[in-house]
Amino acid sequence: MPEPDQTRSDPSATRANVFSGYGIASAVLAVVGVLAIALGALIWSNHRDAAHERDYQSRVLAAAAEWTGVLINMNVDNVDASLQKLQDGTVGDLNSDFDASIKPYREVVKTLQARTTGQIESVSVETVHHDLDTVAGQRPPAPATLPAALAERTDTVLVVATSVSENAGSKPTTVRWNLRLGVSDVDGTLMISRLESLR
Amino acid sequence: MRNLARVLAFDVAAPLVAVAALLGIGMVLAWPLWWVSVCSMLCLLIVEGMLVNFVLYRRDSVTVGTDDDGPGLRLAVVGLATLALAVAVVVGYIRWTVPDRDFTRDSAEVVRIATAVSEATATFTPADPNSSIDRAASFMAPERADAYKIEFGKATADLAKRNVSAQAQTISAGLEALGPSAASVAVIMRSTQSQPGQSPNTAVLALRVGLSKQSGQWQVLDVAPINSR
Repeated sequence: MPEPDQTRSDPSATRANVFSGYGIASAVLAVVGVLAIALGALIWSNHRDAAHERDYQSRVLAAAAEWTGVLINMNVDNVDASLQKLQDGTVGDLNSDFDASIKPYREVVKTLQARTTGQIESVSVETVHHDLDTVAGQRPPAPATLPAALAERTDTVLVVATSVSENAGSKPTTVRWNLRLGVSDVDGTLMISRLESLR
Repeated sequence: MRNLARVLAFDVAAPLVAVAALLGIGMVLAWPLWWVSVCSMLCLLIVEGMLVNFVLYRRDSVTVGTDDDGPGLRLAVVGLATLALAVAVVVGYIRWTVPDRDFTRDSAEVVRIATAVSEATATFTPADPNSSIDRAASFMAPERADAYKIEFGKATADLAKRNVSAQAQTISAGLEALGPSAASVAVIMRSTQSQPGQSPNTAVLALRVGLSKQSGQWQVLDVAPINSR
């Protein structure tokens, strides 16, 4: 009676050799490692977005403060240069209707005929806004944001400032500014798209 | 082919992943001196291990990955690499995700408290002069609340005697600054004061509300007009 062939390999035994206990444990750890890599990438991505957002908001505040600094420091001597600088920093309807929008501020400067020094007291990114002038039952006006094609996003910034106008021989006049500015990202440049005085 | 896969996985990828995880931990911790030291030491050990592995491959034509007699060592290599990754993820979660989440939650919370306390401080009803004071004080730190009640108690007595009422509504509010335990919020309100026989007087108030986080709760430390001049 012939002996069974001892050299023939047993498929189940081969599988057992390939997937030993150590091998299975290593594979499980490898899967855990891959999941950890994915989770780490997610954590990094979310943190990068959050850090970018905070950095962007800081730049928005700086842009609003810089623009307002020109506005509140306008004197009769520099009114034309200041207005040009202000207009250059605007976009959208505010830019096209700049003369009309800025007229009240220009009038203040011309009326005071004085040396004005302005100081920004507070700059903040608006998170709460109530339109108190909306009549009951009437829909509140839509926020004036630029079309997506023109600006990637628009943030609203609150600026509180004080300017003091001094005229020789008369008492200094204090003007308090409570401004609400729209700051839009136009191709990476931050520009003012809305100017509103809170009353 | 099988050996190539094992070399790539155990001899190349695992140590590189471990080094990357150690560098990642350093990035999250912003490279404090102690971690620079620990990380340098661990990375040096890993590189040394890789060099020894390469030397043994040249001598015996076998590596940690291809050595059939050393499955335990392979498991240890993968285990250490996975451990380094897991630590990196935990450190990233604690140092990045949790503070980012807290920042978002605190941003909304401090603005909500600031608008509520600002409206309360600028609101007054002669029929119930203490209600708005108590409401404002409920948002304040205990020592500040007592001082506030004493400070405004005298003013409200005078307003109540003259039958003056005041209402305030928030127009806009924004976050000036926010840290892990301190915040500053700007609140712009419209305040209307009315007195019998006189037309109502409306004014826009800009207030700065300073807050501090005490025992995990945001409490108001100060409410002051923004316009200092």
